Amino acid sequence: MSEREYIIPIGPQHPALKEPENFLFKVDGEIVVDVEPRIGYNHRGIEKAMESRTYIQNLYIVERVCGICSNAHQTAYTQCVEEVLGMEIPERSKYIRVFVQELERIHSHLLWLGVAAHEIGFDTLFYYIWRDREVVMDLLEMVSGNRCNYAMPTIGGVRRDISKENFPMYHKMLDTLHERTLYYLGVCASEKTILERAAGVGVTSKADAIRLSAAGPTARASGVESDIRKDSPYLIYDEIPFKMYTETGGDVLSNVLVRVNETMEAAKICKWVLDNIPDGPIKEKFSPMSRVPEGEAVSLVEAQRGELIHYLQSRGENKPYRYKIRAPTLGNILTVIEKLKGGYIADIPIVLAGIDPCFSCTDRMVFVDEGKDRMWDMNGDQLRRYGIRWYEK
Amino acid sequence: MSLVTWARTRSPWLIHFNAGACNACDIEVVAALTPRYDIERFGAVIKGTPRHADVMVVSGSVPRKIRDRLKRIYEQMPEPKFVVAVGSCAISGGVFQDCYNVMEGVDKVIPVDAYVPGCPPKPEAILDGVVKLLMSAGY
Amino acid sequence: MSVLEENNKTVERLTEHIGKKDVLEATVPRERRAFVRVPKERLLEAAAFLHDKENLKHVTTITAVDTGEDLQVIYHLRKKDLSLSLKVNTPYDDPKVPSITGVYNGAALYEREVYDLMGVVPEDHPDLRRLILADEWPEGVFPLRKEWDVKSLRKRVDGEEWGRNE
Repeated sequence: MSEREYIIPIGPQHPALKEPENFLFKVDGEIVVDVEPRIGYNHRGIEKAMESRTYIQNLYIVERVCGICSNAHQTAYTQCVEEVLGMEIPERSKYIRVFVQELERIHSHLLWLGVAAHEIGFDTLFYYIWRDREVVMDLLEMVSGNRCNYAMPTIGGVRRDISKENFPMYHKMLDTLHERTLYYLGVCASEKTILERAAGVGVTSKADAIRLSAAGPTARASGVESDIRKDSPYLIYDEIPFKMYTETGGDVLSNVLVRVNETMEAAKICKWVLDNIPDGPIKEKFSPMSRVPEGEAVSLVEAQRGELIHYLQSRGENKPYRYKIRAPTLGNILTVIEKLKGGYIADIPIVLAGIDPCFSCTDRMVFVDEGKDRMWDMNGDQLRRYGIRWYEK
Repeated sequence: MSLVTWARTRSPWLIHFNAGACNACDIEVVAALTPRYDIERFGAVIKGTPRHADVMVVSGSVPRKIRDRLKRIYEQMPEPKFVVAVGSCAISGGVFQDCYNVMEGVDKVIPVDAYVPGCPPKPEAILDGVVKLLMSAGY
Repeated sequence: MSVLEENNKTVERLTEHIGKKDVLEATVPRERRAFVRVPKERLLEAAAFLHDKENLKHVTTITAVDTGEDLQVIYHLRKKDLSLSLKVNTPYDDPKVPSITGVYNGAALYEREVYDLMGVVPEDHPDLRRLILADEWPEGVFPLRKEWDVKSLRKRVDGEEWGRNE
């Protein structure tokens, strides 16, 4: 074992990604010894801001906590407020909320799959997947008017209705998505390039996943049967027949399989919703300056990345007294640290991507040789290529 | 137009920087390089390093912690360089105005040459913004 | 037994274990949700009981609330069919609570978050540091406390008036 320890800060940004984060890696040769997460680059002060805005104004800021899980946040928010209000929303609006939520799940998982392929160096797959993802983006745009940040749920129901004449077209698009995702499942499970980089990499045992309170596909990939849609059903999830997918490997490949299967299941759920949606109103009345009675509520939603919690304390005004949001990725950071420890540097990008983080991973990387007091630079593209070349040997 | 300017504007190399955005703008920027929108037909390529980039595409309302990083990346870009602010947050803070940790707009930190409004702007709008910038630079 | 009855039984068993006089509040407003408040001296015992005996092995998050009179820390614990929020109160001038990271390993980052943003100090936390705010953010300024609003925070941290909505 060598005596020197290198510290590699992996800074924000990635050609394909999302929120900036920073990880400090202590390495020993090629092995990662310890990881320290430095987060907060995306801290905007939303919880504080929500205390000075009305409940309707907060709909739009809650949505933008994350542009990829935007519907999940809005669903959780509206549920939370409706619970304190004691308001029961119309059946039709519940179906529409589920429809948009599952579409968002498809869009998010396909996005992630493409990005994971890019991390491995499989750019062709990345372009294919993102081309097919445009189908669900079109569907979302047809339903809501926007490709991201759809603002469909509102307090009391949903903002817009979906019209029956479009259902045959929606069915066709969902079938296309299902068929293409099935094809990608075949690719992921059999392509040597992928298996080599993903199988057995970044393993977390079931016991560790439970101990560290992991959530979502990351936990399900380790065999933990945890899915809010089954554990604490909301909207109409207790009526919809759908399957929860778990794998036992706990590695990156298991993460891929869980998410791909979930994508196809989401397409099936959407089709079920279209076939079973009842007629009726889509919204209860809630005026912009309404007060919400005193009370509190916990709202749990299965977002794309896992368990999402919103908590509201109201003191009878038209603004929340305290609103708390915990996005799923924060719950998975401890798990990803365990996954990285003991692994190779070359595996860092794919393991980080494997938990589908709502933050960005690599760009600027600085190697610090503490013993010799030298510093040299490597950028994100180079680390990715480093990983690819390392495995080619 | 000199040969050098022609060469520069015909194939801009972009770098994308997420300055605390919610990711919606970022995925639309990435979607711009996928087959349907295909930014490469304009000669634009997204690079991972500022040292090779001509145009920086920035999204996000610039939270405090990322401010210095944004400045540093900007300084690492060689001249001539341009900055495109994508999305309402990058232009003025968007919904995050009046949040205690937000600097409210990229032009409060570095000079911006083009603004692409939207929340998020569609990939076509982003391409439009980049192309308009290039044309005004002497394309 | 229905889910609601199960949830009630869980709260009853917790009350029995801690002792009725120390369970200051216990409600089950609907199925799958429970809210229990205990004094902070009994927090670790309650958490250990829920973890070991009632199978609530998952900590969803930790919320801190500035009630106006003191600070309230809420631990959201979960298992299938029950999300139980365990609350403790702690005074402004002594905002310490015992750390539950020993029992719930997954709570490490959440405790750092409430330390950073609300100034609640989890005692015996293995690695207590800032999590979210910038390094240059001034010490002792806890943005989520009610004593600060956006304008006064800006003034304190950026050194200038930066208000927009009046």
